[in-house]
Amino acid sequence: MRDTPAALDPISFTIEFVTEYYPFIIEGFLTTVEMTFLGLAGGFVLGILAALGDVYGSKWLRVIINGYVEFFRGSPLIVQLLFFYFSIPDITGLNWDAFTAGAVTLMLNSGAYQKGYFKGAIEAVFKDQLVAAKSLGMTFGQTLRHVVLPQALRIVIPPWTNEYVSLGLSTSALIVLGIRELTNISKTIAAQTFRPLEVYLFASAIYFVWITVSMKIFDWIYEKVKIPGLEVSM
Amino acid sequence: MGMGEVILASRGLKKRYGDLWVLKGIDFEIERGQTKVIIGPSGSGKSTFLRIMGLLEPPTEGKIFFEGKDVYSSNLDLNMLRAKIGFVFQEPSLFRHLTALGNVKLGLRVVLKMKEEEARRRALEVLKAVKLEDWADHYPAQLSGGQQQRVGIARALAMNPDIILFDEPTASLDIELTWEVIDVMKELARRGVTMLVVTHELGFAKEVADEILFMDDGRIIESGPPEELLRNPKTQRAREFLSRLIGGA
Repeated sequence: MRDTPAALDPISFTIEFVTEYYPFIIEGFLTTVEMTFLGLAGGFVLGILAALGDVYGSKWLRVIINGYVEFFRGSPLIVQLLFFYFSIPDITGLNWDAFTAGAVTLMLNSGAYQKGYFKGAIEAVFKDQLVAAKSLGMTFGQTLRHVVLPQALRIVIPPWTNEYVSLGLSTSALIVLGIRELTNISKTIAAQTFRPLEVYLFASAIYFVWITVSMKIFDWIYEKVKIPGLEVSM
Repeated sequence: MGMGEVILASRGLKKRYGDLWVLKGIDFEIERGQTKVIIGPSGSGKSTFLRIMGLLEPPTEGKIFFEGKDVYSSNLDLNMLRAKIGFVFQEPSLFRHLTALGNVKLGLRVVLKMKEEEARRRALEVLKAVKLEDWADHYPAQLSGGQQQRVGIARALAMNPDIILFDEPTASLDIELTWEVIDVMKELARRGVTMLVVTHELGFAKEVADEILFMDDGRIIESGPPEELLRNPKTQRAREFLSRLIGGA
């Protein structure tokens, strides 16, 4: 790596560093996307289960679920990452790498937020349909699968898109575990090139384009699966 | 009357919500092929009685018999019994994410485990019976209230139930939409479908009911053939109720 005194001159704006560092930038971006999808996927399963437990479960189950949700919504993601990475090995004796610890923490964190969105969507399914399903002889499980979830999963798309955006951008917190995602890579490049302005602007642009394109895709999916009368006012 | 097979019956049926006794002891029975109509002022317990007979909620006291078997004390599968007792609600209560066809098909597929082709054929046949074959691909939000209610009837009818319970199926409809639903129900009665109907449509009651039951304050206080009960009610309360209803108050 060169040290470029020219970087001290704020007039000479250049993104020349991209040509040299693009493999690292791509690696960082892919790690960011990977962590986002791991967190969202794990959070999706946790979120649905927690929401069903909170809506239909016993009092004790609801207490446990809401304790979990409050913990993850009531503390900073960075603290959660540090806590899980450093404390779990101390407590359990299990050693885990930063990547696994980061992914699991994101899943738990996202699950807590997704639970709220799924709960809202499940409660938005009109109750008369549950009685109608019962009158046909459907079991509770059949009603969930064939009546409640098909509607809730459509209703949840717009708020769920917010969680995608939020978690996607929050993956930058993984820098505290030294995971080589986009923010961490950018910091390294900025330090090596002395071009923080250009490097961080470029990183921001990547985040922006990624999130914008993703939101368009979710809007498209929402339109695609939309059913007359089941629209959500956004 | 009194010759046929009793399909659904209750003995000493009572229901309490908190401190309030909504049903205070109801003995009832209906035979295969009969149509019985329940009338009475709001708050008299008609809808509660119907929901309990539809096995949608349990009674506080008393027994319900389906084809002679005590529903809640035998080892009967309640869901299988519910599949044999059709229910049409005051609000159409259609599955909002499914088309008219999908609504009728769901119980056939999930509960009766019919194959897709067979369920589809059966659903279309029943939609035709309620004159909605051209609307099979429409979602509930794209149908009028009367059409939605007819899909609800088709959904119940498709299961080939032993009896269909109707809970004020026209109460939330405009007058002109009421007729299309009532016409379908009359046709079912003529075809011999066993029906227990809570309604204020006295024309329907007069034309097809074998018996009218007048409910007040959680009890059946008078019952009889339509011409008798409507023309010449024995109890003061039935007289008052009918004169208010006919007077259009």
